[in-house]
Amino acid sequence: MAELLQFVITGLTVGMVYALIAMGFVLVWKSSGVANLALGQLVLLSSWFTYGMLVQVGMPLWAGFIVVLIFAVLLGWVIERFILRPLIAQPILSLITVTLGVAYFIQGVVVFIWPASVAALPRLFPVEPLHVGPAVVSQQYVWAAVISLALFGALSLFFRYHKMGIAMRATADDQRAVQACGIPVTRIFSRSWMVACVLAAVGGVLMSSIGGITFGLVETGLKAFSVVILGGLDSFLGAVIAGPIIGLAENLGAGYLTPLTWPGVREVIPFIIIIIVMFVRPYGLFGEERIERI
Amino acid sequence: MDLPAGTRNYTYAQDMAILRTRTHWFLFVLLLVAIFTAPLYWGNYWLGVANLIGITIIAAIGLNILTGYCGQLSIGHAGFIAVGAYTSAVLTERLGLPFPVGLISAGITAGLVGMLFGIPSLRVKGFYLAISTIAAQFIIIWVINHWTGVTGGFVGMRVPYASIGGLVFKSESSQFYLIIGITCLTVFFAKNLARTRAGRAFVAIRDNDLAAEVMGISLFRYKLMAFFIGCFFAGISGSLLAHWIGYMNAEHFSLTTSILYIGMIIIGGLGTALGPILGVVFLKLLDQLLTVQLVPFLESTFTALPAGFATGIAPMVFGLVIVLFLILEPRGLAHRWQLFKAAYRLWPFSY
Repeated sequence: MAELLQFVITGLTVGMVYALIAMGFVLVWKSSGVANLALGQLVLLSSWFTYGMLVQVGMPLWAGFIVVLIFAVLLGWVIERFILRPLIAQPILSLITVTLGVAYFIQGVVVFIWPASVAALPRLFPVEPLHVGPAVVSQQYVWAAVISLALFGALSLFFRYHKMGIAMRATADDQRAVQACGIPVTRIFSRSWMVACVLAAVGGVLMSSIGGITFGLVETGLKAFSVVILGGLDSFLGAVIAGPIIGLAENLGAGYLTPLTWPGVREVIPFIIIIIVMFVRPYGLFGEERIERI
Repeated sequence: MDLPAGTRNYTYAQDMAILRTRTHWFLFVLLLVAIFTAPLYWGNYWLGVANLIGITIIAAIGLNILTGYCGQLSIGHAGFIAVGAYTSAVLTERLGLPFPVGLISAGITAGLVGMLFGIPSLRVKGFYLAISTIAAQFIIIWVINHWTGVTGGFVGMRVPYASIGGLVFKSESSQFYLIIGITCLTVFFAKNLARTRAGRAFVAIRDNDLAAEVMGISLFRYKLMAFFIGCFFAGISGSLLAHWIGYMNAEHFSLTTSILYIGMIIIGGLGTALGPILGVVFLKLLDQLLTVQLVPFLESTFTALPAGFATGIAPMVFGLVIVLFLILEPRGLAHRWQLFKAAYRLWPFSY
């Protein structure tokens, strides 16, 4: 029983972080129609950058995080301005593969600057574990969930009330109409990439505070894909709900399926879920089914 | 426009022919002679590079049929290559079957696995398909890494040399003939496939699959056929790779390899017969130039290079090349070659 509770709590909390990263994907997809396959590499890069600022440069925590956020914003701007802007209105195939090129490039940059494959961030959260009933959960998980929830709240307020947020939702709805209203669409694209990079950075820092910085962070980004596929590619709500589901499936599966199958079953569960969703309900739980005309 | 000046068609057969003029035939024979006499004057090192290029071309042609002609983006190609490699390795090493059986069943197994993961393509496309092929890649590699009894798991397994009858392909040069021979057959097949009913159906599906279906092209049949053919070549390539290296583990088939394959066919030119060849040669030679020539030179010249320089520089350059090609020349090297040919034929009155 204690075991089950433990799996459920870790699954739900890690799932929140996946959902956070997935939100960045959904945002870019909705506003500009670009599928950002470099998500995992963005997570990896920003985690290593945080490590560089906090450990190698030795900044205090608060200053380090501000620098990381600025870095993420700049990164988003650079990617949108110099790589995706020239490709506007190109076929979807180019838009997907160009992010693969970006992913490959970022991977090279990470190996180039930080050849060590493993590192640990300094301790961000208190150590002593929490006791929830019979289960023992380390505080990092709880903090990760709390921060993710706070960001969800902030984002939904932003989309509800802020001018930029409303403009982003409008762009997602109908690009041409937005252009006709005089809203600069390219600026919306740029902003959505910035927000996506910031979300990837926060998600990366949270994940690496739990498990350290490894190359496995790329797979965190890939798990975010399974979140968006399950939740529906164009649904924020879907991402928020599917994130904890993926986290739960992953942790419960790792806990109970490993004796039945091979070790390491944890890593493929999100991918198996992707395949199942593709066969059963390809547009996800909350995705909008596209009806095409010739 | 495509024809040299003064060349006219009097029959349909002439119109369809690939090699038209006497100069074409002369250059073609010259090329074949140059390729098949290469072991006489190339050293073992460059033969090895040529073998790797040949193996990669086969897989890239498969991906080009799937992605370039039929428009079904696959980011799991390395996974399908792995299926072929391990099928052939297991059949020849563990069961002691002859190499040709291993080669053919590698192709067929990879094709069938590809078809299985291609089934979602009937309902979804674009990003959804890309993600499901990534998932295929991870599931395949996970199975290979953990099915220890058959594949040797993380440790890997030994693979015997390729042999047909009593002939064992042991040296670089004998393997060169095997690999380049199969590569030439593949190129021939791919060039002609594009001109058949199936090839035209693929292009129609790529351009607009709904319109294609309305015109009476069975999407079910042709999309799965594209997956089968594309992954069949991946399997053949994997089998050759396994017997060429002589040792297999799953590290040869990472996601980055899959991305690189996409990069190759983009750099070469999607949906052209020449594209995959140009792309593979370009990227493999760039790889040689970087890792074998440039990096040791720079490391010996500048001592203050960061430690990750040698391993990080190649992905950085490859990523950059892919991005730049997509932005500046999305039709790839094959398009440049077309422009060059047109300019050459019209010279000195090119416009």
